[in-house]
Amino acid sequence: MIVTRVRLRDFRSYAQAELALGEGLTVLHGRNGAGKTNLLEALYFGCTGRSCRTSNERELVRFGASATRVEIDARDDDGPHSLSVGFQPGEAKRLRADGAPVDRLVDVAARPLVSVFLPDRLELVKGAPALRRAHMDQLVAALWPARAATRRAYTSALAQRNALLGRIRAGRASRASLPAWDAEVARHGIALRDDRAAAVELVREGFATLAGELGLAGEPELRFRPRSRAATAEELAAELAERTDADLERGFTGHGPHRDDLLLARDGRDLRAYGSQGEQRIALLALLLAEREALAQARGAPPLLLLDDVMSELDPERRERLAARIARHGQSVVTTTDLAHVPGAADPGVARVAVADGALRPDTPAPAWEAA
Amino acid sequence: MNAPPIQRLVTELAKLPGIGNRTAQRLAFHILRADPQEAYALADAIREVKERIGLCEVCFNLAEGPRCRICLDERRDPSIICVVEEPNDVIPIERTHEFPGRYHVLGGALSPIDGVDPEDLKIAQLYARVAEGGIREVVLATNPTTTGEATALHIAEGLRERAPDVTVTRLASGLPVGADLEYADEVTLGRAFAGRRAV
Repeated sequence: MIVTRVRLRDFRSYAQAELALGEGLTVLHGRNGAGKTNLLEALYFGCTGRSCRTSNERELVRFGASATRVEIDARDDDGPHSLSVGFQPGEAKRLRADGAPVDRLVDVAARPLVSVFLPDRLELVKGAPALRRAHMDQLVAALWPARAATRRAYTSALAQRNALLGRIRAGRASRASLPAWDAEVARHGIALRDDRAAAVELVREGFATLAGELGLAGEPELRFRPRSRAATAEELAAELAERTDADLERGFTGHGPHRDDLLLARDGRDLRAYGSQGEQRIALLALLLAEREALAQARGAPPLLLLDDVMSELDPERRERLAARIARHGQSVVTTTDLAHVPGAADPGVARVAVADGALRPDTPAPAWEAA
Repeated sequence: MNAPPIQRLVTELAKLPGIGNRTAQRLAFHILRADPQEAYALADAIREVKERIGLCEVCFNLAEGPRCRICLDERRDPSIICVVEEPNDVIPIERTHEFPGRYHVLGGALSPIDGVDPEDLKIAQLYARVAEGGIREVVLATNPTTTGEATALHIAEGLRERAPDVTVTRLASGLPVGADLEYADEVTLGRAFAGRRAV
C-alpha cells in the first residue's frame, strides 16, 4: 500500500497544507525550522493515530487553534483507501478508516505501514530496555497482525499477578490463586518471547549487512536477549513459582518477558553504553532499514519510510549507499536542508517539495495518478 | 436546577449501565409525564424482582425461591456441572439444549486488580458440591479472557487435588459455525488455528 496524499489542518506550524507523495522518493527541502519534520510527523500521525515525537499530543494542535485534523489518501491493489485522525485536546481522537469510525488505526488491516527515523528516536538505542521491547512488539504486530493481541494479554495477566502480589504482601489475599496467575502469565509470556525472537531473527542478518554498509566498523550485531530461557509455558510458570518469595518482597514480578531486551552491539560491545552518537545513529538507521526489508518480504510491501535529516551526518560515500538502499523499493520521504546532500534528488521520478513558512511548494509536477 | 425528588430519580437512573446523565434526564421526565399507573408498575416490578428473586442455594443461579428451575428439574443430569461466571452466562448455554447437566455460577472471575480473590467467588461451594460425590465431570465455561482463564486454571488445580477422579474439561474456542473465515477476527482465528485437529 502506498500513500498518495496527505492533508493537514491546524497541525503544528501548518494552518492548512496538502501534499501529494511520489511513488518512490519524495524530498522535502527547506531551511531549519521551516516545518519539514512537522510534515513527517503529520504523515506518521495520519497513518497510526499517534505522534512519533511527543506523548503530549496537545503540542500537535497549532497555536491558537482548538483542534487538528490529518487525512491520508492511500491505495493498494484493491483501489483507494482513506484514513483520518481528528484530535481536540481533552477529547477522544476521532479515527476513521475508509470512512468508518475505528477505535485504533493500528488495528486496521488496510493501512499503510510506516517506519520513521528521527534524531530524537536515538533513545531507542541508548534509552531504557522498555523502549526496545515496545519496538520489537510493534515489529511483531506489523509482521503478523494476529499476534498483536499477545502483548496486550501478557500485560494484563502480568498486571493481575502484580496486583495479587501486592494484596498478598498487605495480608489481604492468600497465595491460593497465585499458581493460576503464574500459569496465565507464563502462557502469554512464552508466546510473546517466541514472537519477539522470531521477529528479531528475520532482521538480524539485514542489520549486520546494513550497519556495515553505512559505516559501523567491526562486527555489527543484533541479538534478542530474553530474560527466560524456558522452553515451555510450564517451565516458565515453574521459574515464576521459584521466585515467588523475592517477588513478594519487591511487590512485583521480577522475571519474565517484560525484562527482555534487544542488544545492538559492535564487536560484542553494547552500543548503548560504548557507542558514539554517530555509531548509535547508524545502528538505529540500520535497524529500521532491516525491519523495512523484512516487512517487504513478509507482507509484500515495504512500509513508508520517513527519514528526518539523516543525510547531513553521513559522508558522501555513505549517503550514496543509503540513497541506493532507499531507492531499491517502496516509498520514502526524506527531509534535508540542502538538496545537494541527497544523492539522486534531481533524478526523474523523484518528487521535490520546498518547505517554507508553513507552506509547501512542489518543484516537480504532481505524480501521474493525480491527473487521473 | 430540578426539584430534589426529580434530581434523586435522575441520579438513580444514571447509575444504571449504559445510561448517561442526559438519558437519565430524558427517562426521568418521561416517567414524570407518564400515567401514574405506568410509573407505579415500573416501581412495583423493580421491587418485586428484588424481593422475589434471589440466588439458588445449590448453584447460585438466579432463582425464585430457594432453588432455581434447573436444580429443581429432575430430568437434569446431576453428575455434570457446568461452571460459569455470571447468571446471564447460563442463558446462551441453555439455548443450545445441548447441555444436560446442572450449573454452578461463580459470581465473577478472579481479578486481583479489582480485589476479587477466590474467597469472593463461589469456589468453596463448588468444591463442597463435588465432595458430596456423584459428580462425574466439571465443565469450566468461564470466559476466554485473562481473568476467565486464570479462574479456570485455579479451579482445575483445586479439583485435581480434591477430587482426582472427576473429569475436568474446558470449553473449546474457535470459529463460530456458519461464519466465513474472511470475517473472523485475528484473535479468534488464531485460537482456532491453535486448537485445530486432524479430520
